[in-house]
This record gives sequence, C-alpha cells and structure tokens, in this order.
Amino acid sequence: MTAAEGIRVLVADDDPDIRDLVEFKLTQAGYAVEAVGDGLSAWEAFQTEPPALVILDVMMPGLSGIDVLRKIRESGAATVPVLMLSAKSRDSDVDTGFAVGADDYVIKPFSPRELLHRVNGILARVR
Amino acid sequence: MSARGILWGSTALVLLACLVLVLLIVATKVTRTLRDRRTSALVAPHRADLLAVGSGEDEDGTHRDALIAVEGPAREALDDALVDLLAKVRGVPAEELAAVLLAHGAVDRAPHDLKHRSTVRRARAAHLLGLCHVGAALPLVVDALRDPAAEVRVAATRALGLLREPSAAPPLLAAVGADRAVPAGPAGDALEQLGVGIADALRDGLLATSPTTRTVAAYLSGEGTFTRSIDLLRLSLRTDEDPVVRATAAVALGRMGRTADVAVLLEGTQTHQPIELRRACAAALGDLGDPSAVDGLRALLADPDPRIAEIAATSLLRLGPIGRAAVDGAPTNASIESARAVARLQGSLS
Repeated sequence: MTAAEGIRVLVADDDPDIRDLVEFKLTQAGYAVEAVGDGLSAWEAFQTEPPALVILDVMMPGLSGIDVLRKIRESGAATVPVLMLSAKSRDSDVDTGFAVGADDYVIKPFSPRELLHRVNGILARVR
Repeated sequence: MSARGILWGSTALVLLACLVLVLLIVATKVTRTLRDRRTSALVAPHRADLLAVGSGEDEDGTHRDALIAVEGPAREALDDALVDLLAKVRGVPAEELAAVLLAHGAVDRAPHDLKHRSTVRRARAAHLLGLCHVGAALPLVVDALRDPAAEVRVAATRALGLLREPSAAPPLLAAVGADRAVPAGPAGDALEQLGVGIADALRDGLLATSPTTRTVAAYLSGEGTFTRSIDLLRLSLRTDEDPVVRATAAVALGRMGRTADVAVLLEGTQTHQPIELRRACAAALGDLGDPSAVDGLRALLADPDPRIAEIAATSLLRLGPIGRAAVDGAPTNASIESARAVARLQGSLS
C-alpha cells in the first residue's frame, strides 16, 4: 500500500488526452482520481465532496480554471490545495494563477512524472 | 421574360444555392464525425498502451513495443493519436512516443506529406516535424509558411518554434506581414521559443516594409528585453509612419529603456501626437521608473484627455516618494482619484 492509496484527487481538463493521462499516472501511484471535462462539473464535484487536491486546466468551457479556483478559495473548503495545469505560459498567466490562490502551476506540455512529484509534495506538506 | 418572372427565377436560384450549401455543410459534418468515430474505434484497443507510454509508466518498453507492432489501418489512426499526445507531454514520454512514430515511418513520410493535397495531412506533417525536432526539415517547414491553407501556415509556425533554430526568425517575421499572413500570436510565441539568437532578426524586423512585421519585432524586443534593438526602437517611436508600431516601440522602451529615453517618451506624450501613442508613452514612463520623468508626467495631470491624466498619475505613483509627492501637490481631479483608488487596490498605496 502506497502513501497515496485512496487519496481523492479531482482533475478538470477539457482535453480528454490530458484527463486520461493525468488520471492514469495518478491512479498508478495509488490516488483515487475523479476526472471531469469542464469547469462547472469541477465546481459541482468539489461541492459534493471536497477532494484532497484539485488539478485545474485554465481554459475550459463554462467556468475557467481561474473561476473555479476563485470559487474554491471563497468556499468553506478554501484550504484544499489546487495545482493549475495549463498551456498558458506567460509570466502574467502564472502570476494570475498564484494571485488567485493556486499552490502550484505546471505548464503544458508537461512531464507526468514531474506532475506526480508535485502532487506528492503538495500533499505531503498539507497532510 | 417579364420582370416578375426574372424575380421569381432569381429567388429560386438563391434558395437552391442555400439548399446546396446547407447540404454540403451537413455532409461535411457527417463525414468528419464518421471519420472521427472510425479513428477512435481503431485506436481504442491500443489506448491503454498509449496512456502507459505517454505517462511514463513503461519502464521495460513493453507498451512502446506493442504500439510499434500495430499494423494495417489502425497504424495510421494510431499515428494521429500519437502526434496529438506528443504535443502534450515532454521528457521521456515524449521521446518514447516519437520513437514509435519513427519506427512506423511517419517521421520519414512527413517531408513528403508537406506536399500532400490534403490540408489536414500537410498541417499534421509540419506539426510532426516540429514535435520530433527534425532539424533537417527546416527549409521545408519554412516553405510551408507560404502554404495556401492558413491551418498549414499556423502548424508550420508552431513547428518552427519547436525546432528552436534561430535562422527561422527572419522568414517567421516576414510571414506575419505577407499576403498569406501567419497570425501574429502564434508567430510571436514561436519566435520567443527561438531564444536570444533572434536579436539581429528583430533589428531587421524593425526596418521591414510591413507594419505588422515591425509591430511584432518591436513587441518581442520589449518582451525579451533585446537591448540591441533600443536605438531602432527610439527611431521607430519618433518616425514610424504607423501609430501601432510607434506605440509598441514606446511599450518596449518602457520595459528596457535608459534615462535618455525619458525625453524620447515625453516627446511622444505631446498633444500633437496620436492619442494612443500619448497614452502608451505616459504608461511607459511609469514602467521605465526613472525619476527624471516627474516634471513631464506632472504636466499631464491636467491633460484634457482624462485617460492620459489618469495614466500619468498612475505612472507617477509608481515612481516612489518623489512621484507620489507630485500627485499630492497637484490640484485633484477625477483622473487622479481614480489612479489613487487603483493603486490602493493593488496595494501600492496606503
């Protein structure tokens, strides 16, 4: 049994390839992953049962990742760590993510191994 | 034929043309949907292998070898899926996905596919050559910047960014101002990926005949703080015939100019200058952060254009105590109050 066994991670990305990749990688590491394809579904899933960590794409239909992050930070479960996973790579994009309350920001194209390390690191710090 | 007959005939023709157009759109959508479904069905049995390789969970190479062994119609569909995935990951997974494409012969076929009659195939080929870093294909990808299809030109632009060869900078800059233009956004992103080796190309770009090329060159000079462009940016700000180029040069100088540029920027704020240039120069003086701009900016606080007055106040507030004193000493107005409110919201003013 790994340290990640059963820890719930919510992944929101409108690109099915990215969703599947992240879900595959984290599931292999022992996490329990819930993957959704848009911002509104992410917010609904978060409200239903706040996960241990959220991975959000920035550009999604409906609510953007930044919008979802803002809602999470204004919610009753505001301390849940959030990692942004986005192709938006300019300094101003990263600044915005952190300013709204992201715990980390990974730029696409990304290394799945590095993403896993960052998820492990964030959760090790907060748990 | 009577006038009424001509009218009815024309109306019938227009309706018929509309009907044909609608049928054409529906047929295209149906064809595309069916093709996508067929592709998905062909790839589905290999999806687990694809995800294992793409996520780096294939240490002994079993999944990679399984993908390499795929034959027949599924191989082409799989290659498309591999290219899609390759664009999304980096590191070892990207190398392994590229290895599968190489083993399938897709990389060897790509230069030939750049001349294929299908737009999708040409765009895909350009993308693949960039993703697999096929440096030898650089001249072919540069040629694709002139492709009749915009989709292919954009794919070639992105591929050149991935190839990271600075010699691609001059044709990329020329492409943004060509008749069959490449959009400035992707071109700017690609040029940024080429690194510091594009400094000379940016200088040349500032002297190009196309105002779009000059604008992109000015923007990137500022974004990347290419100080080698400073003298030409000053020249552009003072003399370029295109107001967008002048305003962009002002922004760039604000990011990396010298004390000497205060005078150049203040000249751009004069009332006879175009309004967008005046605003850009006033903001650039705040970015530059040189205290010698205080007197010039103070004079703008009562400008007839309230936006200029607000930008000048914001710039002064960014210059530290001497700038704040200048704002405090000026007769207050709505523009100054607005600048103060914004500075408070941003936490730079108590």
